[in-house]
Amino acid sequence: MADVAFNDVDKIYDNGVQAVFGLTLDIHDAEFLVLVGPSGCGKTTALRMVAGLEEISGGTVSIGGRVVNDVSPKERDIAMVFQNYALYPHLSVGENIAFGLRLRKEPKEMINERVAWAAKLLDLAPYLNRKPKELSGGQRQRVAMGRAIVRKPQVFLMDEPLSNLDAKLRVQMRADIAHLQRELQTTTVYVTHDQVEAMTMGDRVAVMANGVLQQVDAPQRLYDRPANLFVAGFIGTPPMNLLEATATVNGEVSVNLGGNVLPIAPEAIQQYPRLREYGGRPVIVGLRAGDLHPAQGRDDLPQIHATVEIVESLGGESMAYFRVDARYIKSEAAEEEAVLASEGTPETVVGSRPNLVASFPPHVHLRLRDKVPIAVDTKNLHFFDEASGAPLR
Amino acid sequence: MSSSELASTTAAAPAAAAAVKHPRSRLKFKDTWWRHAVGVVAMCAALFPVVYIVSSSFNSNSSLQSAQVIPSHVTLHNFGSLLHNNVKGNTGAKQDAPYPHWFLNSMLISLLTALATTVLGALAAYAFSRFRFKGRRGGMMGLLLIQMFPQFVAVAAIYLIVLNVGEVFPQIGLDKLAAVVIVYLGGAMGVQAWLIKGFFDTIPTELDESARVDGATAAQIFWGVVMPLAAPVLAVVALISFVFTLNEFVIASTILQTTSHKTLPVGMQLFISNSYDKVWGPFAAGALLAALPVAALFMFLQRWIVSGLTAGSVKG
Repeated sequence: MADVAFNDVDKIYDNGVQAVFGLTLDIHDAEFLVLVGPSGCGKTTALRMVAGLEEISGGTVSIGGRVVNDVSPKERDIAMVFQNYALYPHLSVGENIAFGLRLRKEPKEMINERVAWAAKLLDLAPYLNRKPKELSGGQRQRVAMGRAIVRKPQVFLMDEPLSNLDAKLRVQMRADIAHLQRELQTTTVYVTHDQVEAMTMGDRVAVMANGVLQQVDAPQRLYDRPANLFVAGFIGTPPMNLLEATATVNGEVSVNLGGNVLPIAPEAIQQYPRLREYGGRPVIVGLRAGDLHPAQGRDDLPQIHATVEIVESLGGESMAYFRVDARYIKSEAAEEEAVLASEGTPETVVGSRPNLVASFPPHVHLRLRDKVPIAVDTKNLHFFDEASGAPLR
Repeated sequence: MSSSELASTTAAAPAAAAAVKHPRSRLKFKDTWWRHAVGVVAMCAALFPVVYIVSSSFNSNSSLQSAQVIPSHVTLHNFGSLLHNNVKGNTGAKQDAPYPHWFLNSMLISLLTALATTVLGALAAYAFSRFRFKGRRGGMMGLLLIQMFPQFVAVAAIYLIVLNVGEVFPQIGLDKLAAVVIVYLGGAMGVQAWLIKGFFDTIPTELDESARVDGATAAQIFWGVVMPLAAPVLAVVALISFVFTLNEFVIASTILQTTSHKTLPVGMQLFISNSYDKVWGPFAAGALLAALPVAALFMFLQRWIVSGLTAGSVKG
């Protein structure tokens, strides 16, 4: 058991590309920390620096208080689970799990005992004599886990361990891994690009973008109080709607969102007091899909009008995609669009695509192309500076 | 195929597509006869020397002209005279032909060379595949370029080197088997290293990294993880270099001089080097015996060879 600390860590590759910028992050003992971000954000590089598979260009990484910059992987007392599992194809499941212990020349009885323990914990006992290629994806994933836990290392490092599994299995393994970690109480650094995984598994979640740490917090705090536009757009499914609006302050505070005037509830002003300073200036308004409701029966809430573009029924709820006449910021959750964020803050764009998604109860009747009123619960709105992306707190 | 047949086939195709198991069996002989013809001709060309060697090795008559495909007197005489160093020319004069020695020399040289080439090639390939160092590209191109010059171009130089080295280290001087092995190793590295590197490149680096995190040293990763996985290409490389070495003539004949130190090709060449006194019978018998270990090795390595050849060639 140990804590892991990044202290102003840089990573510059031989070709001059800098992957990580001044990363400072403390991971507590027994904590499950998830590093999340779009592809190429430096999260895997950060993890590999802890593993000792990448050299550290600047700053220090310490494990259990010991600076490990120049310590070889085998002496760091860590275990790593790779995205493609990296099982040794020529060894049986049992031999795969025992590999690390054998290299350390542990006594035979101890190896057998530990392998049996790991196999039992992971439901692998019947497969110990099989080769990896005779296993299903989920079983292989568990063998990789077994190989990690059997050595009882100080730190687990996991690099997108679930991304090769199908969606259903992923949900199950998600819970299994989180449960296993709580049971073993081993410090864990878990890398993923899937913010749902991050939210459901982590004690804390560190959001990275373009090699820079954006925010570290408990999942719910990330969701409720994003530190900047990037985190706001990245965390949450569906992603937060980020639209440009103009604020008006004359006693009451309201925003003009594509011709719709929305008076802002005092609760939101309390969260974002600096909104008062933005009278007559553009701001970015963040609206969660869950704060938008069908207008019918919600006379208590202010309304905006938007054109229905797409309706997806998920059974328990309907995702309704609208267009409002406002510039918007493309969702960062869409990975290929991460490039957008490459230069400072994301820019607003005008597009013909839907720019507002709402989560409606099922059976709400919406006709495509109709302009319909939507009730907005303005208590939970978020406000950001357009230029810097900083929240108006 | 008539047009009506065609129409009915087309119509039935969607429904019966799954039921048609062997669409090839529908091809008519008149459309495909030429494929068989090419095959038969190629097979004859390939089998002719084999049949000839087999038949003349069992033939009591050692002249070429009078040999028949099916010998009139089947005899093991040729084999016997080889094994007992009792080969007589057509004139009745006994030739000094210690065939068992040659055989052992050849096996020893070929096995050692094959083994060492494989290990050295794998070591070089591992470095080229996994490490990034200055001169990596240059080194690989260099290996390939050097390989383009046939080894026997350098035969005079090799002779001089071995001669001079022999003054200091007699064990690897002229007329020593070890000298031949060392010269072969110098020449055999290039293509083999490339072939193995191509295969190593297909082994995910995560396996190396995983082993490193598990606590393995570079040597443990190489021997414990990478080498077992590369078995197919190693089998191919070993086989290729074994066969090449077994057949090699120029260098072996330059370095090995004492009759009992010669290898099979160099020694057996004596049987047919005399203009008026070629003993084809013992020569054929000797060639047949020499083919046995190669065939055995092929059979033994067979299950790895196919995947090894394709894997290496595609990525190499």
